[in-house]
Amino acid sequence: MTSLRLEHIVKDYDGPGGRQPALRDISLEVGDGEALAIVGPSGCGKSTLLKVVAGLEFPTHGRIYYGDLDMTEIKPQDRGVGMVFQDYALYPAMKSKGNLAYYFEHHAYTHEQMEERVRRTAELMGVDFQHLLGRFPETLSGGEQQRVAIARCIVRDPTIFLMDEPIVNLDAKRREQTRIEIKKLLRTFHVTTLYVTHDQQEAIFMGDRLAVMRAGRIEQVGSFDDLYYTPVNLFVATFIGSPPLTVLPAALSEGRLHIAGQSWPLPEDLTGRLPSGPLRLGVRAEHWLRDQPDGLPLEISHSERIPTERIALVHGHWLGQRVIVSLPLEEADGSPGLQRLRPDWEQLLYFAADDEHLLYSPGPPALF
Amino acid sequence: MGPASGGIVIEHLVKRFGERAVVDDLNLHIQPGELFVLVGPSGCGKTTTLRLLAGLEPVSDGRIYFGERLVNDIRPRDRNVALVFQDYAIFPHLTVFENIAYGLRARHAPRNLIRERVANAARLFRIEHLLGRKPRQLSGGERQRVALARALVRDAALYLYDEPLANLDAQLRHQAREDILTLHRQKGQPAVYVTHDQAEAMALGDRIAVMRDGKLQQVGSGLDLYERPCNQFVAFFIGSPGINLFEVEVHPDQDGGLRLVHPAFRLPVPEEFQARVAPYTGRRLNLGIRPEHLQPPKRADFAVSEDSTIRGLVNVIEPTVSGCTVYLSTLEPTPRDFVATLKARLPGSYLGREVPLAVNLRKIHLFDPEDGQALLHGPLATDDRPIRVTVSPSGEPANGPAEQPTSERETSEASTQREEQA
Repeated sequence: MTSLRLEHIVKDYDGPGGRQPALRDISLEVGDGEALAIVGPSGCGKSTLLKVVAGLEFPTHGRIYYGDLDMTEIKPQDRGVGMVFQDYALYPAMKSKGNLAYYFEHHAYTHEQMEERVRRTAELMGVDFQHLLGRFPETLSGGEQQRVAIARCIVRDPTIFLMDEPIVNLDAKRREQTRIEIKKLLRTFHVTTLYVTHDQQEAIFMGDRLAVMRAGRIEQVGSFDDLYYTPVNLFVATFIGSPPLTVLPAALSEGRLHIAGQSWPLPEDLTGRLPSGPLRLGVRAEHWLRDQPDGLPLEISHSERIPTERIALVHGHWLGQRVIVSLPLEEADGSPGLQRLRPDWEQLLYFAADDEHLLYSPGPPALF
Repeated sequence: MGPASGGIVIEHLVKRFGERAVVDDLNLHIQPGELFVLVGPSGCGKTTTLRLLAGLEPVSDGRIYFGERLVNDIRPRDRNVALVFQDYAIFPHLTVFENIAYGLRARHAPRNLIRERVANAARLFRIEHLLGRKPRQLSGGERQRVALARALVRDAALYLYDEPLANLDAQLRHQAREDILTLHRQKGQPAVYVTHDQAEAMALGDRIAVMRDGKLQQVGSGLDLYERPCNQFVAFFIGSPGINLFEVEVHPDQDGGLRLVHPAFRLPVPEEFQARVAPYTGRRLNLGIRPEHLQPPKRADFAVSEDSTIRGLVNVIEPTVSGCTVYLSTLEPTPRDFVATLKARLPGSYLGREVPLAVNLRKIHLFDPEDGQALLHGPLATDDRPIRVTVSPSGEPANGPAEQPTSERETSEASTQREEQA
């Protein structure tokens, strides 16, 4: 087990339009046993970053350390990383157990050590994993193959575990089950992990911390709470949280907030914290207040019921803007209170209109 | 062919590949203007059903009607069906404009009509600025909107969607669902939407049909399926995170009641369920508890007693819009995973700690381990059509009875049981 440190990593590719930076000055630390989820839209460089850490690509500039060891020039096979990709790449001619044991047969381990390690891993993989061991990959479903691939990785006791969208090819129900298995394995074996995904919900689930990437840069690293309640900019705010937050263009002048021809007084707490002029309001689905004297009607276009949370996400228009509002399940099809709806000004995130950096956030709510 | 004013009727539809029935005696009536979702795991026959509707595969048995018209032997192009696929099926060598116009050109529509319709569709899906580009210059979300725009310019009798959002980033999906609903409402024609994602089904469908192994399990609104699953499979498949399933034994109590006994708990059976459960005394049942029906005892909005709790070790805390989802495991020697959705955020300091969670006993589900049939809250008999419901146990029970032979019952029978219960 070991920590991971990246210092000023730059990676350029020679593309058709000349040299193109895929990674622009990435510095990052992942603690011993920590799982860091890297999330971002396609093309943001997250998979390239993983390859650089694995040694499958070498950085143009910058250094990579596993613990105190400089790995920058070390070949991938000598780094001791475990990797799982979206395609499972099992040895098709071997049963699952052979896939798990292969590494030990080719390294200096006794038969007993191998058996013991395979047994312990299989035990942790769950009740029904045992009977996968005797089967060939082609007889396994996608989900089962991926579980074997992950087990194969874990069994080798990797210094660092790298996963690139490992469950993206599974169907939704299977994904839900597999991610909890992976999470428990990481906890149990305490492996330092980088987990790449485009799905923010999966990132939140898998990562002890999250790194949000855009266009070859890391925009922000932190816990879910850091990113959700104090995102550094509108991009991070939009990317973290489901449903996506609603962005309302607004302007502040003489202590009043103007949105699409209407205006409201800015709460006293906020005056002085925000500059006059154009703003972007970030409104999360739970930031709306019903039945307000100065509220305006919501025109519902459709409602998405989420019975497990006893809420409905209502999609509609408010002041001509597309918005998403979280409501109690019973009000999914509308209620009188929705005729007088407005954002809860004190809960919102306020961003600059030009470079979209965060101007003000109330931070995490006080629950107790 | 004009609009299918009588909706789409599927009668005893069968599709065999060799010996195997991939679609097995399917009966459905899709209403005019309805967005009907077919949902199920990979290999359940949902996509094959869609292909049968489109005429891309010949049926092995049964009948498909568009309104009054039997279409079994009608060629795909003459069925006038619009398809939106997962990979969008847009032509790489054509511009966005020509891709959208393709269906109209193939039908020799006049040039000014084509121009007008393409412009309108492009505006609706926010791709006006892309009309001159080739598909490879577009993002995934933009390509998907081109495919939708192409469906919009046509006047089809039926719109079919095969996992159209599968390749989109999570953040684009909310918008794309809106776009699909927009298209659906503009056309006012029946649509069938196939997905493996129950959350998508719940977000889009007027009604949802759950399929498994080629057989229809249950049809209803999302909430119907969630609150009144006809069997263990539907209960398991609908809802995310999924229902918690435990294999329990029914034991008599000292004071004349019944208990559901598991190594991790002994839950009393509420009085109103005793008559239904009594015949199982001394036998096994599968207990289902929805994640929202497990709450911290002090914060529960239902009656809590000392023996109505399950203790668990907190493995993962996942934040949600309204609180958090907590993943736990029971404390007995072979621990079992379960999930609770709480209305407040559980602080991270609870990770790795033991907590008690109270069970809302009046909301539990019980399933017969033999055939998977729901004992307590079966479906209501609101459907006027004689849709056959096949019941079989879920593929994912608590400690796993293996595959059981399936048995069949009619919904009417399930509803009779309901009345008895009332």
